[in-house]
Amino acid sequence: MINELGNIFLSISASLSFCMFALIFFKNTISISSRFIFCRNFSYITSIFIAASFFILAYAFLIDDFSLRYVANNSNINLENVYKFSAVWGAHEGSILLWVFVMSIWCSLIAIFSKSMPKTLIVDMLSIMGLLLLFFLIFILFSSNPFDRVFPIPLNGRDLNPLLQDPGLIIHPPMLYIGYVGTSVPFVFAISVLLHGSINIEWISWLRKWVISSWMFLTIGISLGSWWAYHELGWGGWWFWDPVENASFMPWLAITALLHSLIVSEKRGIFINWSILLSILTFSLSLLGTFLVRSGILVSVHAFANDPERGLYILIFLTTIIGSSLALYFLKSRNLIFHKQYSVSSKEFLLLLNNLFLTITTFAILIGTLYPLVTSSLNLGKISVGAPYFNFIFSALTLPIVFLMSPAIYSSWSKSNHKILVKKLSYILFYSIIISYLFLSIYYETDILIVYLAMFLAVFTILSSVIKIFQVSKISNGKKIIEKIINIPASSLANLLSHIGIGVLIIGITISNYYSIQKEIVMNKNSEVMISNISIKFVDVQTKFSKNYTSQVGIFDAYLDDNYLVSFFPEKRTYSVQKNVMTEAAIDSSLFRDIYLALGENIGKDSWVVRIYYKPYIQFLWYGVGLMILGGLFGIFSRNKIEKKITNAS
Amino acid sequence: MLHKLSILPILIFLVILYFLYSGLNKDPTLIPSPLIGKAMPTFSSITLIDNQKINNNDLLGEMHILNVWGSWCYACSIEHKHLIDIYSRGTINIYGLNYKDNRSSALEWLKVRGNPYKYNIYDNKGNIAIDFGVYGAPETFLIDKKGIIIHKHVGPIDENYYNKVILPNLK
Repeated sequence: MINELGNIFLSISASLSFCMFALIFFKNTISISSRFIFCRNFSYITSIFIAASFFILAYAFLIDDFSLRYVANNSNINLENVYKFSAVWGAHEGSILLWVFVMSIWCSLIAIFSKSMPKTLIVDMLSIMGLLLLFFLIFILFSSNPFDRVFPIPLNGRDLNPLLQDPGLIIHPPMLYIGYVGTSVPFVFAISVLLHGSINIEWISWLRKWVISSWMFLTIGISLGSWWAYHELGWGGWWFWDPVENASFMPWLAITALLHSLIVSEKRGIFINWSILLSILTFSLSLLGTFLVRSGILVSVHAFANDPERGLYILIFLTTIIGSSLALYFLKSRNLIFHKQYSVSSKEFLLLLNNLFLTITTFAILIGTLYPLVTSSLNLGKISVGAPYFNFIFSALTLPIVFLMSPAIYSSWSKSNHKILVKKLSYILFYSIIISYLFLSIYYETDILIVYLAMFLAVFTILSSVIKIFQVSKISNGKKIIEKIINIPASSLANLLSHIGIGVLIIGITISNYYSIQKEIVMNKNSEVMISNISIKFVDVQTKFSKNYTSQVGIFDAYLDDNYLVSFFPEKRTYSVQKNVMTEAAIDSSLFRDIYLALGENIGKDSWVVRIYYKPYIQFLWYGVGLMILGGLFGIFSRNKIEKKITNAS
Repeated sequence: MLHKLSILPILIFLVILYFLYSGLNKDPTLIPSPLIGKAMPTFSSITLIDNQKINNNDLLGEMHILNVWGSWCYACSIEHKHLIDIYSRGTINIYGLNYKDNRSSALEWLKVRGNPYKYNIYDNKGNIAIDFGVYGAPETFLIDKKGIIIHKHVGPIDENYYNKVILPNLK
């Protein structure tokens, strides 16, 4: 009975979203204030109803209601409760419901935090949001309904895909979706502005907060996905250039570009046109990602249920939305152009280059991802470009971006003096070369050019950002250094911390990529193996029984110079329902290295294939991402001059 | 001038759309390879393990499987036990096409996991794989005694491959 309520709530939400959208056609008949009140309240009610059906589905999972086909396919009596809850978004139907849920929340948030914005614009934004919601709700109700019944009711469910039974996967999809769907905010903003025909600088600084939030959640989501792949796939890798990963990475690149072009638009009133186009592109890439993941037209390690019919629906949706917004852009964008002069060493110009490179990178990844489709439709056979293409193109295109970061930090708006900039940067450049060279030649006697280059750029970025933090703190209020640092404007901290994060991230990627040691060997009980300076002894393998799986747990002891260091317990789990075998790697992390141990096949009575990796600096990856997220937080909660002006005036 | 450029996104979008639509009704794992029903491409290379010369004529005379793999390929490691399984039935020979691999790690792989292959063709540059229209590793071809490609499977084979693909063709 309660499940029928879920269906009813979804239908009501669909009707309400339709009303929200329809209001856009009554601009002349209904007054703006009543349209605003309608739209605002409809969006609140829609969120509440969608939330209710989401939690009804979650409840069905928790009480093992296998009369629902979706629950029966993705849960099991013996599944732990926390995974029963996360199983709600473990497959297609629930993921789309989560998508809509998140979208309705964003929609309500627009309604709540819009006091500084003109009502006409907000009403249009909410109406277009209503259209997006409507599309997805219809999609759920007619082709991916999680409340579909199954008869006869199975006694037990088919269990959640064991790959997804991991703590990282509990919050990875929600975070990613919050970021993904968050890109709809700049999108509806862009469309409303185009309809409106004019734009205002205050609106851009309002929009920037939303873009930063969405960027931050995308960053969290993507990095959690990597973290999960690193721990769960047992292969020591954390990024595979898989179509599904690319699907989340392309919007990230686009929104990063948007973030920077919005800064220019806000401060200088230029690139507005471009920012609007980027907003449309970012959301388009999110939709495209959804299409690629859900239609299954590309081969991916993420084995989702594929269905061409669903693919067709999303494709029609995608065509309508993206096609009409690009057409609108073509027709209306000329109204938004401002002309201003800027010099080559100005911040504008450097940020323009940043945007150029980020956009090219996004397209390069898009082409690589869609390449198999292109060759197969042109009957050239199916050829895929693998990791080598992506690695090459990505490093070739992003290293210039990183190089531009430091000049961009030190340059000033409109006219920046060439000589002063060069003078400021040359000593940082000099020290960066020395530090990175010394570091590499002392610890890793290397002759790989790209390693030197990447390390130099990382050090250059970190050093220049850190120095900038101290420079900014000198002119900020306060007597003691601590006070001065605390009083640094949050917006500068946001950008500097994120850039330091990028530098730290690059160190992690470069060193762990080029100087990992890996061994795949057969080990017998009581045998030992050396990796780096650590000796690892294979003690035993024991069988452990758990609720929904049995596992073989290896016991390994690590010694450093004959002193006991740590024990590893890598597992090989066999899940009882789906009979899948999963690897649980055992990882010992410390500041400068991970030791990563995964149990392979059992090939003899006491002998096992064991994979051991020594990964230096891999932790820097997560530190770097952490700094970027921290930067994002500062960005969201900072108040810039224009906003202060608004608050002071009111 | 700038304004005229803003038609560009629409054009790019239409091109992408065409490819998305055309890809929609094709199952990416069931590729209607243009090679099916045709003779396998000619090649000559060396074997992975003992550096013997090997060419396409050496594969004629009996129905066999050609499996494209590499030690760098995660899906291949999942597939490997099914190859061992087919090998242990003894009804059909498996040839390997060692694709874009490093010889020492390929040899280590075979040593550690067992070797189900009669011979491995060493294709470190991937040229032979291009002639076979290989999309990525792993891929598996079923080839008859005259060298005609009967079936192509993209992605790791599973326990059904023997019963559904090999058995019907063995008779």
